[in-house]
Amino acid sequence: MSAQSMSGPALQASPAARWLWPAAALALAILPFFGNDYHVTVAVNLCITLILTLSLNFVVGFSGQFQLSHVAFFGAGAYVSAIAATRFGLSPWLGLPCAMVVVGLLAAFIGLPSSRLKGLYLAVATLSFSLFVEVVVNQGGPLTGGGYGIQDIPAAYFFGIKLSGRTFYVLVLVGLAAAYLVLQNVLNSKLGREVIATRDHPDAAAASGINPAMMRLVALIIAAVLAAAAGWLHTFYHLSINPGLLSPEWTFVWFFMVLVGGIGHTGGVILGTLLLTLVPEFLGFAAGQTILGIGVLMVLVTLFAPRGLGGLIEDAARRWKGESAV
Amino acid sequence: MASFAQVLLSGLQIGCIYALMALSFYLILSATGILNFAQGEWMMVSGVLGLTFLGYGIPYPVALVASILGAGALALLSERLIIRPLQNRNAPHAITLLALFGIMLVVRYGTGIVHGRLEEPLPGPAGNHVFMLADSVFIFAQTFVIYGTTAATFAAVILFVRRTWLGRSLRVASIDPLAASLVGVDLNRVRMAAFGLGGIVAAIVAWLYAPLYAVGYLTGVIPGIKGFIALFVGGLVSPFGPLVGGLLLGVLEVAASRYLPSIYSEGIAFILLMLILFVRPSGLIAERKSA
Repeated sequence: MSAQSMSGPALQASPAARWLWPAAALALAILPFFGNDYHVTVAVNLCITLILTLSLNFVVGFSGQFQLSHVAFFGAGAYVSAIAATRFGLSPWLGLPCAMVVVGLLAAFIGLPSSRLKGLYLAVATLSFSLFVEVVVNQGGPLTGGGYGIQDIPAAYFFGIKLSGRTFYVLVLVGLAAAYLVLQNVLNSKLGREVIATRDHPDAAAASGINPAMMRLVALIIAAVLAAAAGWLHTFYHLSINPGLLSPEWTFVWFFMVLVGGIGHTGGVILGTLLLTLVPEFLGFAAGQTILGIGVLMVLVTLFAPRGLGGLIEDAARRWKGESAV
Repeated sequence: MASFAQVLLSGLQIGCIYALMALSFYLILSATGILNFAQGEWMMVSGVLGLTFLGYGIPYPVALVASILGAGALALLSERLIIRPLQNRNAPHAITLLALFGIMLVVRYGTGIVHGRLEEPLPGPAGNHVFMLADSVFIFAQTFVIYGTTAATFAAVILFVRRTWLGRSLRVASIDPLAASLVGVDLNRVRMAAFGLGGIVAAIVAWLYAPLYAVGYLTGVIPGIKGFIALFVGGLVSPFGPLVGGLLLGVLEVAASRYLPSIYSEGIAFILLMLILFVRPSGLIAERKSA
């Protein structure tokens, strides 16, 4: 019960989601085509953030690992893509599998020893790994461009069409849809059920033939590879990257988006990400004010709505149907 | 040889800073099980408050004490208003950690907006004297202040934890909170004491660390990170863990920056921590087998 109420129901979608999400997806798909370049950039960043929060939700919410290295996987994916394109002259389309393989190996490297670690120790080890990746990129010399980053990355072409602005947005939408489908399919598969079983009761899962350490590692690698793909999208949309991408604060911000939506609620996570990405954008806050605002919100949400929007909506729905709230 | 002596002196100096930050994490973590990410911010607040007080022409000793108590009071307030409700509700670890991260962001960027983003030097308690110890080995008066304050703070904390009732209840609560509350230990009071004490230790660090560099709204970031790394390297079972972890980390860092390329001096703390966590998760100073 306690694990269930903390992480939320695993698989079922609320009835409202059936028509709400297709409508939201449609709006997301067509909106930028009416807007200007700024709107396209906001939409691209939003979709990339959605890939990151959905994959983070998979590893934190469904696999139950409190890992704080997501930004390292995202940044490493972005850097590997950029290095492959600029230093080795590889096609962007070859850079994508490169980034996913390298980050998958990184995730295995950090995941293998840390699958023994729990709770606070896992958080500290993964946070420290994230800080280390930031240092390596900052000190990487000509390969990573140090503090200056990598500029003038060549754009991607698709059968002779240059992918930039709106055409790139189509690619980002495809990427987001693919990431969403991968995660949903994994969750509904045997593997997904084993991952959730490991979260809810590791001992019982082990007793029924599941290897809990292996499940944690697989979940981490899946999430990391998706984050790497998000990094690839970031690189070839912005065509320049710098170490600011790797600041560990991002992991906390994405984690907070997941929490605002409700850990383990896919729909809520999408809503939380939308809200926290778009509201500061439209209010036109400066960066410092946005971060301050996010800090205030973090404290308020953890105090007053720890199950997030997903939890609030669920409670409201129960009251609406006249059932007693749990 | 001279350069080695210099490395050791500087390494122990920054190591003392890390050890004290680690001690402030340790006081809270050992009594409450909470890793308070915001510790570095209480240090920064103490420095910025000191700067502000000195700017108003308040005498140096008064400004020093007032800023340390002020930062400690803020740490207490954060416990009372935010952490206590979460703990009493049995909030999951991740939620508490996120709330602490929120406090950290609010304090850090709030200071950035209120105080401005300029970094200014904070005058040290011992002024700017330099002593030549030998040919090309020199030491700042501030370094003696750092060594002395570190020794005194550790001694005071160890005496407090071993000899006073409140200090002992901190230890009991860390071993078994339920049993502690059954024998009359008020867990809320223990948590408040831990946060207040941890905040004051961190606030003291500002007056040791900032005179070497400068004070601004981002000053707490690096000592905060290095402090919790030093704590996990040293171990979580006694105050000697933070001491050993901090001094070791400081000396290794300065030695690496002297003898190795910069990537090693910047990254050595994280490499050391990951090694320790994977090879000996209990840290260097672990529990003795026979108690």
